[in-house]
Amino acid sequence: MTRPLIYEDSTLPVHAYLDGELDPTNALAVEKRMAIDPALAAECERVEALQRLMREHLPREAPPPGLRMRVETAVGMRRPRTQFAHAQFSWRALAASIAVTAVVASSATSMLRAPSQSDMVRDGIVDAHIRSLMASQPIDVASSDRHTVKPWFNGRIPQAPRVVDLAKQDFPLVGGRIDVVGEVPVPTLVYGRAKHLISVTAVPAPGRANSAPVPRAVDGYNMYRWTEDGVAYWAVSDVAAADLDKFSELFRTTPPDQ
Amino acid sequence: MTIVSLRRRDAVRTKGRLDDGPGESFDQKPQIDGENNMAPGQDDHARFTRLVLPHLGDAYSLARWITGNRADAEDVVQEACLRAFRAIGSLADGSARPWVLTIVRNTAYTWLRKNRPSAVLVVEDLEDVEAANADPGDPDSETPETALIAKADAACLQAAVMALPTAYRETMILRDVQGLSYREIAEVTGVPIGTVMSRLARGRNRVIKSIGRNES
Repeated sequence: MTRPLIYEDSTLPVHAYLDGELDPTNALAVEKRMAIDPALAAECERVEALQRLMREHLPREAPPPGLRMRVETAVGMRRPRTQFAHAQFSWRALAASIAVTAVVASSATSMLRAPSQSDMVRDGIVDAHIRSLMASQPIDVASSDRHTVKPWFNGRIPQAPRVVDLAKQDFPLVGGRIDVVGEVPVPTLVYGRAKHLISVTAVPAPGRANSAPVPRAVDGYNMYRWTEDGVAYWAVSDVAAADLDKFSELFRTTPPDQ
Repeated sequence: MTIVSLRRRDAVRTKGRLDDGPGESFDQKPQIDGENNMAPGQDDHARFTRLVLPHLGDAYSLARWITGNRADAEDVVQEACLRAFRAIGSLADGSARPWVLTIVRNTAYTWLRKNRPSAVLVVEDLEDVEAANADPGDPDSETPETALIAKADAACLQAAVMALPTAYRETMILRDVQGLSYREIAEVTGVPIGTVMSRLARGRNRVIKSIGRNES
């Protein structure tokens, strides 16, 4: 039996356990202690309830409107609002410019709005994949064991992704990381295929109907997107489309626990 | 939504300095990596957009929990972003969030000392921490049932968190709202991981007990 860590305060390991900060050995030790110590188990329940409460009532928030503009102005990315300084200007010219501005603005707005949220998510996910390939480490947690990868996410984001074992089908699990798409942290699983990597990002999409994988190519990367149980999955890789197609199908149809 | 396209230069990793300590200047000597010589202005803006701006929400939220109000938080974030921008050349890719939050936190404390000297936060906090250390059991207050915690409302929770000493409050926000790991929190708040753990446990226990007092 491995010796558990010694803490000055007997409840500290419970917090570390709930925060996903313990290695499997110490996590097991805490579980064993809670099994024989009702007071400790009750403490664990209370802290868990508090964590749920905080997630519910104090969610991560977007910056208030205007703050981004203020910051961009402060660092010189945006000019402070300039005044009309012409000595002579005609009201007619001003009226005309307002009319033109209105037309330009309305068409520009529709053009700017054109890339849908889905497109931006897609671009964000491809960027995250490319970035991960350039980094010295494409993953934050390296493990081929889904029982290690899933709990790692548990301590970091509200909903851990579905993790399946596809090693027998030659798509070994390599690990996982957290990407930020837009301003939302989302879990990404990384699988291997020969010497290539496949990133699968799970984006919460509550209320969206299930859909089968749809292929597309973005910036030379193959991509499959499907929806299941209110989660949109995006698989992106530089492997051949046929391989990614096979992977998406396997990922979708393999039960997480068998 | 802030999604910025990747540039080749972004793959270059530079040495990062994490904590300049409160009140110090974040001005940096130019990095000598050969790549920084080209159009530094534009490049810095691109890096700033990609590395710092995505964390504006977390930066604002941390500043608000430390200063206790929205207007101050916006001033702090603006000042912190300016510091971050000046030091952006020293930041290694990939670990921007703790770095940004470190700067925000230090800026917030500097700002408080300068603009709200009456708050005398630091001394008060230290005393609170001492008191908590001396009295681990706190036998006077009842620990509430789990069900009671679960049905507490947002206002009650916010008041309980706001009433915490700043050191506990910032640790809890970084962990339970922003999801940083213990190691990252240690980095941001400049204390050992053991201190992060005990602050987290004590902060949570205080909030739990305060909810118990309010709800029962």
